[in-house]
Amino acid sequence: MRLIPILALMLTVSPALAAPEVYHLQPDLSSVGFETDFGPDKITGSMPVATADLTLDFGHVGSSKVAVTLNAAGAQASFPFAAQAMKGPKVLDTAEFPEISFVSTGVKAEAQGATVSGNITIRGVTQPASFHAEIYRQQGTVEGDLSHLTIRLTGAVQRSDFGAVGWHDMVGDQVRLDILARIERAN
Amino acid sequence: MLNDATRFGLVSRVIHWAMAALILGLLILGTKLNTMQPGLANLWLYGLHKTMGLTAFALVLLRLIWHRISPPPAPIGPPKAWETRVAKAVHHLTYALLVLIPLAGWAYASATGLDIMFADRWVIPPIAPVSVAWENGARLAHSVLTKLLMAVLVLHVTGALRRAVKGDGTLSRMIWKAQQD
Repeated sequence: MRLIPILALMLTVSPALAAPEVYHLQPDLSSVGFETDFGPDKITGSMPVATADLTLDFGHVGSSKVAVTLNAAGAQASFPFAAQAMKGPKVLDTAEFPEISFVSTGVKAEAQGATVSGNITIRGVTQPASFHAEIYRQQGTVEGDLSHLTIRLTGAVQRSDFGAVGWHDMVGDQVRLDILARIERAN
Repeated sequence: MLNDATRFGLVSRVIHWAMAALILGLLILGTKLNTMQPGLANLWLYGLHKTMGLTAFALVLLRLIWHRISPPPAPIGPPKAWETRVAKAVHHLTYALLVLIPLAGWAYASATGLDIMFADRWVIPPIAPVSVAWENGARLAHSVLTKLLMAVLVLHVTGALRRAVKGDGTLSRMIWKAQQD
C-alpha cells in the first residue's frame, strides 16, 4: 500500500479543517507488529487492534488525542511456543489481562511526524511511554481527503517494567512495537 | 525372551541397553541445553530432550512391569558380600532416580505452561499446575537428581567393568544370553 505522509498538512492546514475531528478504527485493516530478541534471532508477531479512539486536531496538533486498545489474547508469534509463552502467566498473562491499552497525554509535532506521550497498561501495570507517530492518507484517497487515514505508532517498552519477566534468560527485555491503525472519520 | 534363574532374556537385555543409550544421550543433551544460548536454530533440542526423556520413562516403567512378569536373575556372587549389597543398593537407587528424574522434568515443563510435545506431534498432558514455585522446585529437583544419577551410574559402570575384569559373567550375561551352567 502506498502511504502518503500528511503530517506537514497538519501543520499548514487551512482554518476550515482546523476543528478537532473524531476518527474510528477500521479493525480489519489494523494490526500491531512486535519484535523482541531471542538469542541471536528475533521473535516477531502481531496483535489485533481492538479499539482506537482518535481525535485529530490538524490545526493544533497538541490537542490531538489517541487511545488504543490491543487484543493481547489474540496475539500471534513467529513460532507456536513463542505465542504460548508470551500469552502465558509469566509474560502477558492474557487470561487475567486480555488487553493492552495506551492513552495519550500529549502530542508534540516534530520535523518528521510527532511524538505521542501517554500511559501504557500491560498486565494491569501502567507506565509512561512515548511513541513516534506518523499519519498518512490511505491509498485510493485524493489529496486533501482526510476521511480515511493511517496512523503508525512506533516505539518500545521494557517488559520487566510491567512484571512480564518470564523467560528473561532466553528472551530480550525490550519489546519493539509497530502499531498500524487505519481509521475513518466519524460522520 | 524370558529371564530365568541365571540369565537375562532378550527383552530385559534390549530394554537395558536401549535405556543405557537413551540415558547417555539425555545426559549429554541436558548438559548442552544448560549451557547453550537458545535460538531458533536449536529450539528443537528442547523438544528432543522431552521426547527422549518420556521414552526413557516409559521404558523404565516397562522394565519394572517386565520384572514382575519375568523376575531377573539374582546377582552373581555371595548374597552377603559387600559388592553384592552395594550393587543391589545402586540398582534400587538407579530405578528410583530413573522414575523421579523424568517425573521432575515433566512437572517442570508442565509448570511453565507450555505444551509438552512428544515427537513434535502429540501433546502430553501436564502433571503440575502452571506456577513459578512449581517450576523452580521441579527444575531444581530435576537438576539435583540428575547429578546424583551421574554419580550412581559411575558406580554402576565401574562395578560392572570390575566384575568383567574378574570374569564372573555379570556384564556378559547382560550382553548376550550366556550358556547355562
